[in-house]
Amino acid sequence: MSGSYLARRFGSALFTIALIVLVNFVLFRALPGSPERVILRGTPNVTPAQLEAARERWGLNDPVFPDQFVAFLGATVSGDLGYSFVARGQTVGQVLAQRIWPTVILFGLGELVAIVLGLALGAYSGWRRGGPVDVVGNGISLILYSTPYFLLGMALLLVFATGLRWFPTFGMLTAGATYPDIWARLGDFVSHLALPLATVGLGLVGQYAIVMRSSIVETLSEDYVTTARGMGLSEGRILRHHALPNALLPTVSLIAINLGYVVAGAITVEVVFNWPGLGTLAVEALTARDYPVLQGVFLLLSVSVVLANLLADLVYGVLDPRVRT
Amino acid sequence: MTAAGASWSPPIPAGRRVGRFDLLVRLVRRPEGAFGVLILAIFAALALAPDFFVGPLQTAVTAHGTRLSPPSAAFPLGTDELRRDMLNLTVHGARVSMAIGLLATLVTVFIGAVVGIVSGFVGGRVDAVLMRITDFFLVIPTFVLALILTPIIRDLVGSGSTEILGIRMTLIVIVIVIGITSWSSSARIIRSQTLSLKERAFVDRARVIGAGSGHIMRRHILPNVINLIVANSVLVFAGAVLTETTLSFVGLGDPFQPSWGQLLEAARSVGAPGLGAWWYFVPPGVCIVLVVFAFTLVGGALDDLLNPKRRGRA
Amino acid sequence: MTAAVPRPDRPPRALPRLAVAGAPLLEVDDLKTHFRLAGEVVRAVDGVSFRLDAGEALGIAGESGCGKTTTALSLVRLLPANASIVGGSIRLHGIDLATKSDTAIRRYRWREISIVFQGAMNALNPVARVRDQIAEPIVERLGVDARTARRRAGELLELVGIPRARGSAYPHELSGGMRQRAMIAMALACDPAIVIGDEPTTALDVMVQAQILDLLERLRERLGLSLILITHDLSVIAETCDRVLIMYAGRVAEEGPVAQVFTRPRHPYTQKLLAAFPNIQADRRTLDVIPGTPPDLRTPPPGCRFAPRCPLAMAVCSEVVPPEVTFADRVRVACHLYSEGSSGEPVLVPAAATVGRA
Repeated sequence: MSGSYLARRFGSALFTIALIVLVNFVLFRALPGSPERVILRGTPNVTPAQLEAARERWGLNDPVFPDQFVAFLGATVSGDLGYSFVARGQTVGQVLAQRIWPTVILFGLGELVAIVLGLALGAYSGWRRGGPVDVVGNGISLILYSTPYFLLGMALLLVFATGLRWFPTFGMLTAGATYPDIWARLGDFVSHLALPLATVGLGLVGQYAIVMRSSIVETLSEDYVTTARGMGLSEGRILRHHALPNALLPTVSLIAINLGYVVAGAITVEVVFNWPGLGTLAVEALTARDYPVLQGVFLLLSVSVVLANLLADLVYGVLDPRVRT
Repeated sequence: MTAAGASWSPPIPAGRRVGRFDLLVRLVRRPEGAFGVLILAIFAALALAPDFFVGPLQTAVTAHGTRLSPPSAAFPLGTDELRRDMLNLTVHGARVSMAIGLLATLVTVFIGAVVGIVSGFVGGRVDAVLMRITDFFLVIPTFVLALILTPIIRDLVGSGSTEILGIRMTLIVIVIVIGITSWSSSARIIRSQTLSLKERAFVDRARVIGAGSGHIMRRHILPNVINLIVANSVLVFAGAVLTETTLSFVGLGDPFQPSWGQLLEAARSVGAPGLGAWWYFVPPGVCIVLVVFAFTLVGGALDDLLNPKRRGRA
Repeated sequence: MTAAVPRPDRPPRALPRLAVAGAPLLEVDDLKTHFRLAGEVVRAVDGVSFRLDAGEALGIAGESGCGKTTTALSLVRLLPANASIVGGSIRLHGIDLATKSDTAIRRYRWREISIVFQGAMNALNPVARVRDQIAEPIVERLGVDARTARRRAGELLELVGIPRARGSAYPHELSGGMRQRAMIAMALACDPAIVIGDEPTTALDVMVQAQILDLLERLRERLGLSLILITHDLSVIAETCDRVLIMYAGRVAEEGPVAQVFTRPRHPYTQKLLAAFPNIQADRRTLDVIPGTPPDLRTPPPGCRFAPRCPLAMAVCSEVVPPEVTFADRVRVACHLYSEGSSGEPVLVPAAATVGRA
């Protein structure tokens, strides 16, 4: 892959992240309550000297632009995101750290499952267009696409947790439980993970299947597929070596573009199942008007999406030789 | 890109309506178009005159059911924890959800169209800067941004009980926030169309006779992107309803003017799924799915009709 | 195993197992291919017959929509999903390809008959290297190992005038002319008896066009290839082909040796086609165009399909399908102006003397 392609992609991502920090900065200045609340709220018995030192470090004595922004940027990059208004004495960074892993697990596994299943289903549907799998699959995908994730979650909760009692109804682990060994703990974790994971997975599968399907249908009408047929190659070979590699390209792009929207869904799924991740944190912070934490979540999620997009760009560069020059 | 003068078709004069009715007729001829339009007509009727169908919105004071009771003869969709009739709430929810969706769509499409047309037509640095901003909004998770913006703007605006078009200010704030965060994909689509229109001969013709940029944009470009904007608006509407629902679900709705999303939030905080009270969240949920599904069908069909290249494909 | 690289003492190609001894290389008899479009039937190819012998180059010419590409696709059975062969036969070494099932036909593809599409970018897989695309049929259809196949692909590239090193390039890195050459190399990969070129030079500029035609001619000589060239450009046919088939609205108008057809065109359509060709050396005159448009093939006119536009049309032309008559110089025509004379040589019908629109 050419250096300039990589450089361009990295540069673009970096610039977007800078814009994100800028938005955060604007919000930081605009939100109710002076900035000092943000940087010192949790600390008890603040002396005027400490206050002044903090003001210096965050540049609050300097003109707003560019000095304050640069200071803000510096603070953000070094991980100093201020203090939570709500959590006693905890920095935003600490609060985020506590809640990040459950989200990574839920969301990461959900994406993985959805990508594998969705692409497979979509490819098969497109290949056997008009067949039973296609018609049924397409209908279900469209309906899933119109359904908010949390609604799906509530329905699953009702049927499988309340109704059939196969799974617990909330949380990540049973409250107050003690475990004889790691396997018991893991088992409890998995049974709690099952429904939220199914919700995220189902929500995503529909989108990915639809995109992959139309991508395959488009690819199958290209001249090089006709040529491959003309060569007498088997249908399986044509699908694997000619159709799929080309159909993946727009699919990867669309998966990346979608990431921003999926975040909304992931947040609400966590709320439905009381999954202790960034999503529930965001809603708690919202209810309590804990702006520093909210901004921290915004920063973290936005940067993650930008990085994920960058990753998708790199994958795309591997798959499509035309962009590498 | 067509070579200058390679394919000329007369531009639609401003204000000509025949093109749009013809589109509607062709839309309804398709089964998915007919189904979608039917669903939307039903919900539009409910949204425009909810009082006619179920009487005024019930409050905790005027409620007369029993708490969280399943569907019965008197209450076909059961009751909520404030003893209110779910059917009443759901139908009134239609008005709130659809109204917010409509207003948010207007804001979104307006911003998107202005940015798209200006960016595509003027080109150069203006285009580069506007597109950078647009791409930014496309990448970031705008939902989280909305989460932050809404309480800030609400606190700025104050919490009186003024209403615009019968919608309380708290919800108008949501309209604005949705508009601010959702305009970018419309902008991109409209910019594409503007770019290809810019190359057409009739634009050069207007320039030659001395028409200014603003004039050209308004009288020549705009009428020709209207069809595209209409098709795009339908899909934007679906997105706006979903976004409003989600924002309400996380607590930004208004309990005094419950939209479907707000009803779902209430259902969750009461623990309806855990209690087995399916009638609390299924009716508003089904309504949401139906409306979004219908809009998506219609939007897709319109897109097919306006995009002859894609006809006969999937 | 036959070699793609020519040798002076080149052994003759092995015939397919089911080949009928003594049968001509390719014999198409009354081929009919119809499309289903929005509930209606489009009779794109409606009774086309011709023959191709080993080593011959046949050009199929006609305006857009006359059915020449559909004919080509029918030969290799690469029709789109809404089209099908509804009648006639396509006998390759006596084996009827028209009736074979989709799996059975794969056997003959590329090994007996291959096709080169119009050189748009998408005829080559954009994400695969050129050399690998040429090697693929060698591996898959001839059972050769990958390394030998890649070497063979390199030889084929050299054969068509592409430096072997360029084989590792992707299609988008090649110029239009080189892509077309690469596709020709690909078409030769399994050493077929017949190569069909569907507008192989249309998308190229004149200089490159000349190079490609020259290449095809050389390949034909060295490898003993038979060619079918589909084009609307008569000059290409004049330069490269032995015989020409003029199609109009899904039927054959005229067919015969290039020299005969071009110097003594018999069918009014052929005459108009040739007259429409601007001659850079002749005196300036207004371009002679054919008024009207080709017929709608969902409801083609009864009788001769050219009758509505024919300046020499008679009453019978719009009622009866013109029978084919063959002249002594091996030119076939389907036109009511000519009928079998008593001596076997077609004569001009007397009524034609009173020329006028019917």
